Amino acid sequence: MEGESRMEHEKERETSEATFTDEIRRRLGGETIALCYQCGTCASSCPVAKVTERYNPRDVIRLSLLEQKKEVLSGSAIWLCSSCYNCQERCPQKVEIADVIYALRNIAIEEGYIPNIYSEFANGLMNEGRIVPISKFVEKKRPEYGLPQLRTAGLAALKKILATTGFDKIQWKKEGP
Amino acid sequence: MKEAKIGVFLSDCGGELAKILNFDAITSFVKQLSSVTLVAKGNEFWRGEGLKTITDAVKTKKINRVVVAETLPKLSEVSIVKAAEKAGLNPYLVEVIDLKDHCGWPHRDTPSEATEKAKAMLLAAIERAKLLEPIDKVEFPAVKSVLVIGGGIAGMQAAEDLADLGFKVHLVEKTPFLGGLAARAGRFFPTDDCAICIQSPASDVKTVTHTSRKCVYRSGFSEIPNLNIMTNSKVVNVEGVPGNYKITVEKKPRYVNETKCVGCDLCATVCPVEVPDEYNAKLKKRKAIYMNLPAVYPPVYVIDESICKFHECAKCVKICPTKAVELDQKSEKITLNVGGIIIATGFQEYDPSVIKEYHYGEYPDIITNLELARMIDSFGPTGGKIVRPSTKEPAKRIVIVQCVGSRDRRWNPWCSSICCMISLKHATLIKSAHPDADVTICYIDIRTTGREHEYYYERARDMGVKFVKGRPAEISHDPEANLLIVDVEDEILHRLLELEADLVVLATSMVPSEDAKELAKILSVELDQDGFFKEYNAKLRPTETKLKGVFLCGGATFPKDAPTTSLHAHSAAVKAAKFLSAEKIVKDQRTAVVNEDYCGDCEFCPVTCPYGAISLVSNDKEHFVAQVSDLLCEGCGICVGTCPLNAIELRHSRSNQMSAQMKGLLSVNGTAKPLILALCCSECGHAAVDSSGMAMMQYPANVRVMKVPCTGILRVEQFLEAFKAGAQGVMVVGCKNDGCHYEVGSQKAQKKVDLAKVLLKEYGIEPERLEMFHMVFIEGDKFAEAAQMMTEKLEKLGPLQLM
Repeated sequence: MEGESRMEHEKERETSEATFTDEIRRRLGGETIALCYQCGTCASSCPVAKVTERYNPRDVIRLSLLEQKKEVLSGSAIWLCSSCYNCQERCPQKVEIADVIYALRNIAIEEGYIPNIYSEFANGLMNEGRIVPISKFVEKKRPEYGLPQLRTAGLAALKKILATTGFDKIQWKKEGP
Repeated sequence: MKEAKIGVFLSDCGGELAKILNFDAITSFVKQLSSVTLVAKGNEFWRGEGLKTITDAVKTKKINRVVVAETLPKLSEVSIVKAAEKAGLNPYLVEVIDLKDHCGWPHRDTPSEATEKAKAMLLAAIERAKLLEPIDKVEFPAVKSVLVIGGGIAGMQAAEDLADLGFKVHLVEKTPFLGGLAARAGRFFPTDDCAICIQSPASDVKTVTHTSRKCVYRSGFSEIPNLNIMTNSKVVNVEGVPGNYKITVEKKPRYVNETKCVGCDLCATVCPVEVPDEYNAKLKKRKAIYMNLPAVYPPVYVIDESICKFHECAKCVKICPTKAVELDQKSEKITLNVGGIIIATGFQEYDPSVIKEYHYGEYPDIITNLELARMIDSFGPTGGKIVRPSTKEPAKRIVIVQCVGSRDRRWNPWCSSICCMISLKHATLIKSAHPDADVTICYIDIRTTGREHEYYYERARDMGVKFVKGRPAEISHDPEANLLIVDVEDEILHRLLELEADLVVLATSMVPSEDAKELAKILSVELDQDGFFKEYNAKLRPTETKLKGVFLCGGATFPKDAPTTSLHAHSAAVKAAKFLSAEKIVKDQRTAVVNEDYCGDCEFCPVTCPYGAISLVSNDKEHFVAQVSDLLCEGCGICVGTCPLNAIELRHSRSNQMSAQMKGLLSVNGTAKPLILALCCSECGHAAVDSSGMAMMQYPANVRVMKVPCTGILRVEQFLEAFKAGAQGVMVVGCKNDGCHYEVGSQKAQKKVDLAKVLLKEYGIEPERLEMFHMVFIEGDKFAEAAQMMTEKLEKLGPLQLM
């Protein structure tokens, strides 16, 4: 029965509606989230949290583990991480915090919670081959500093890559609430 | 062997069981079996008149084998076997089965099928009884002497107990002084008095009562009769067997004669070599000739040979008034003969310098809890003052950081369990002495689980100690202001704080003693995943190891506070005393025995035996054969299940005995359902069957239970044999995978079941006819459910087709 009932239990887990925590844990980068014991090392290590109250990595993890999916995905917090990995280096439970944030961003994009700025980035990339458009000002200033003119992006090659990875299939236009 | 004359005794449980089972049919079935010379029926046979019927029959030599169908698991067996032995029968010629809990109760809805099963159970017991052989007892010497390794409070208390009980005790301490961590800690919670205070020995004539306690230096500890204290010494080799070990101890030179030194301190005064005193948190210097503290045992100076200039200087030799300094002392090897060993090597503080963000070792004003303890101690380097090591000025703002290196999967994942209380103790001691000091404790969780411990926490808050819930990310240093800054999130306020501090104290993790590994190797005992010494059973045998004769106590198994260490030490002493007090070890030979004609040159059994009971010895024909130590063998049979040549057997579960039992169980059918053989280990598996019956859980009577010592004894061919003997399905029921009473038996059985499934498939037999189950006694429902499920599955599969 041991083996059998365990299998049944596993099956049940797979087929029943997965919790938000499960969803994160199944993602690349999200595997370690449930190890968090809320010590706050990440928060006091975070350079972003030092300057704004809008982002606290401990809060993001706490809300996720408490299944507050909508609050986490629709909020601005997950987009504010600067990926310095300080938190991840110092986490005593080896929670891969910065990677968890990436996993959350991926889920958010799939669910259509995309901040305007990222839609703009994506469109820039797909249409002009650049995330940040080159301004007239920059073009004018570069020679003054002895810098060469920027080369044009290889748009055809880039489009091929974006198509292969499925990047261009994402509904970038749909804006988050 | 004498011809078997079997007496069969059938209990009907005061008539209750007879309401289900047809005892007339059972009796006439048993009577016609060969070798059965006596059949008796009664209310009960495990006590009173019933038991007398058995013993009378034994005494009058009417019978020389006893089979009893009783109605009480285990208890009845113990009582009957003891009585039979008293009446003159070898106790291993008695077979007891339980017709109530294994047959009547669980099959009460199908009485005729139950009756047939009862016949099968009796047939199996009788067939087995025919083949049983008498088993003798053997005696081994036990030296009434114990080696205690480690002179901290655990070792000292265990040594004292045993010496008081009349054992010769050798207490070996690797450092030059007794006291261990306790001596450095100064004070202990929850009493806040001297850490080094222990119970006075019984031999202390001046002690008012036996429960008086005194500090170890004044208690007369060293004067306890039978106690031999060896400091500056190390166990380097252990030979022999439980009860009779030969120990080699290396005693390092002290360079000061213990019988001459009067502790006058003149030597240290003239000694020109000075080093930072590690013992005292490097807050002061010590000489090459030194004592740790003014009050130590032995009260004798020691020379640090790594720094002494010896004959180049020899100022101490010249000044010593008693000529005690002996620079030419050499290390010596001492041999001891002991019966038992107690490991009391304690734990130690982790070096937190690996945690780079806390900068320990870089900024001098960051110290550990043990270093703070040295400051608080009035014997310590600062005379009890709390100072900043960088300036020696008083520290006013103190931040204590909890869980440094503990509960940290990067370093030590365990909770060190005592650091919360240590920090609370330190915070309150500082606050009592300096009420104006600002003390903050940064914590993840405050754990005060012991008796009175929560009051400590309460008192700390009452005294004004501040608590910040949050684990600091970094400790930095402002060189201009010479300040430390602790970055921490106050989770409750949801605010990032930068705490300024004069002194930061790290509540550092407690880790296994540095020579645990080496000692474990010398003694052949196991360490756990974290490197602490592993006990035999965490719940029931916390101070024993898997090796008989080797015991454990104190922090060697895990960080412990003083009260728990005392308990542990007394427990280890009792266990060692129990083991050795008779001065002999009596064991029955219910052990493995090797057939040397078959055995040869493979190493499976010695490697597999969980108790190290099997060794390979050379026989005359230049081959190696296995040899079993009757002293070490626990009779589990895991070796039997491992031997590829069937060259090893258990005297009480030989192959032919098991086959006969199996055939008996499967040769009486009486049910339309497919016969299932349930091979249950004698520990949890069989107990789960007991408990399902006792709770009257129902499962079909086609399930036939056969008890084996441990499922580890089973061989793949026995599963095949069961199918051949008529089983349609086979259940193997063992202990939990991680809870086998013989360590690895149920894991081995699981592997064999998996292998057998592959073979069955090859033979064209559905592999799901064989299943392994793991359960404990209280999971009777699990057994009943498994038996039911297995039956339904086999019914679906249809009859077994053997090629």
